[in-house]
Amino acid sequence: MDLFYHFIQNTGWYMLDYRYVIMIGVGILFCYLAIAKEYEPLLLLPIGFGVIIGNIPFFKGFGLGIYENNSVLHYLYFGVTTGLYPSIVFLGLGAMTDFSSMLARPKLMMLGAAAQMGIYFTLLSAMAIGDFPFFQNIGMVFTAKEAGSIAIIGGADGPTSIFLTAKLAPNLIGPIAIAAYSYMALIPIIQPPIMRLLTTKAERRIHMPDDGRMVSRKELLFFPIVGVLLCCLLAPASIPLLGPFFFGNLMKVSGVVDRLAKTAASSIIDTATIFLGVTVGASTQADVFLSTKSIGIFLLGSIAFSLATASGLIAGKIMNLFMKEKINPLLGAAGVSAVPGSAREVHLVGQKADPTNYLLMHAMACNASGVIGSAICAGILWSFLAV
Amino acid sequence: MQGFAAISAQNGWAMAATGAAIVIIGLAILSLIISQLHKILGFFEKGETAEPVTDEPTSAAPPAVEIGSIDPLTDLVATARQYRFLTAQLGDSFGLAQLYHALETANAPHPHITVRELKASGFLISTDKGQFSWHNV
Repeated sequence: MDLFYHFIQNTGWYMLDYRYVIMIGVGILFCYLAIAKEYEPLLLLPIGFGVIIGNIPFFKGFGLGIYENNSVLHYLYFGVTTGLYPSIVFLGLGAMTDFSSMLARPKLMMLGAAAQMGIYFTLLSAMAIGDFPFFQNIGMVFTAKEAGSIAIIGGADGPTSIFLTAKLAPNLIGPIAIAAYSYMALIPIIQPPIMRLLTTKAERRIHMPDDGRMVSRKELLFFPIVGVLLCCLLAPASIPLLGPFFFGNLMKVSGVVDRLAKTAASSIIDTATIFLGVTVGASTQADVFLSTKSIGIFLLGSIAFSLATASGLIAGKIMNLFMKEKINPLLGAAGVSAVPGSAREVHLVGQKADPTNYLLMHAMACNASGVIGSAICAGILWSFLAV
Repeated sequence: MQGFAAISAQNGWAMAATGAAIVIIGLAILSLIISQLHKILGFFEKGETAEPVTDEPTSAAPPAVEIGSIDPLTDLVATARQYRFLTAQLGDSFGLAQLYHALETANAPHPHITVRELKASGFLISTDKGQFSWHNV
């Protein structure tokens, strides 16, 4: 009878409390959004399922949990805490990215740079909280390193956010990763109202000229080399992200290692995404995750993402003051590096204003530069805050 | 400390200003290089193929090709020569998408059928990795 009683005490059902139920509910919601609504399913499904398995309560000391040494999940989580998975994901992203749209319209790269301003506004906001008595009472105070990790959510790039957080504030990986991926999945809900708020209908109707010249193979070959040299010499801390990114792209455009490029763009990135998603999800154990700090991260993350979108849009409007040929300021919203979600949304909002307006290729140019910009920002913040 | 004082204490202003400046300058330089990359590459390519300079007057430039004036399928040899001239800027090997784009820009009639015929006749041969080049033209 004792044995049976002990067994009952060790079951998850016995140890389940409301916190785990909430988190399991969140996991199921993510799976629902991924399957039924198809919001970023490649990310939300592994994360959602990871949240579910990470929040099944267990008897501590069995080596089961992600934070317990020698557990399987702990070993898989190693790829997150070391920044390994984000680097691998960037390798695959590079092998999948076609830069020809950006190379044909280099001036649009500035919108990708402008959209990164949301990161720095959020950095300042998180730092400004300081030791306000109210925030201190509820435990929502952030160190400079934590502020940097939260700010990078504004880059709207999951792997970059995870990479920087792993380096600066590993204790916050769970909430930051969940916030970053949630906002990426919620692009169709978050971005359009900001776009409509900051642009007039006439601006949204601006047609972009089809000025995309034919990009030669040599240009495509030179770009990853020029890009890696320029960006990584400028911010060497971005090497772990931009190094694999540009290498993946070089493999793709070189045409001499098709097997490697295809593997990087399929099996390798898929494997890393599965492990990254599941372990990040599992890292949200209720006793660690459910805190006022997490709520603060979600709030600041939404500010970061919204500010990033707004800065891109405003930059587009500012560029129009100086440029002879007006650009559609909506493109600025695609400067965040959520590829291709934000580009698609820009295109759709543009088409709502004028069904004959095709902005997708131009938006992809901003998107591609946003990826580079956010990785540079991560490198900059790491080098500023690591010491 | 809180507010602006907290930001100053953590060196936030300097970090944000420097970080923002670095990313903007970095992407601006990259954008500038990209915008000039094709010109730089073109310059080196011209250098490689440049004829030695002589004092003799150079021959007149070949007359502009009027692609739309003839049916390209009636004389495939002439068509291949014209198209090669037209696509000289694409280099020795090029993708079919580039070729179609160049032909469409030049208002060439039914480019898809013509390219198919040029491939079938051996004037346009596949080199490697989806690239094509002119042959016997």
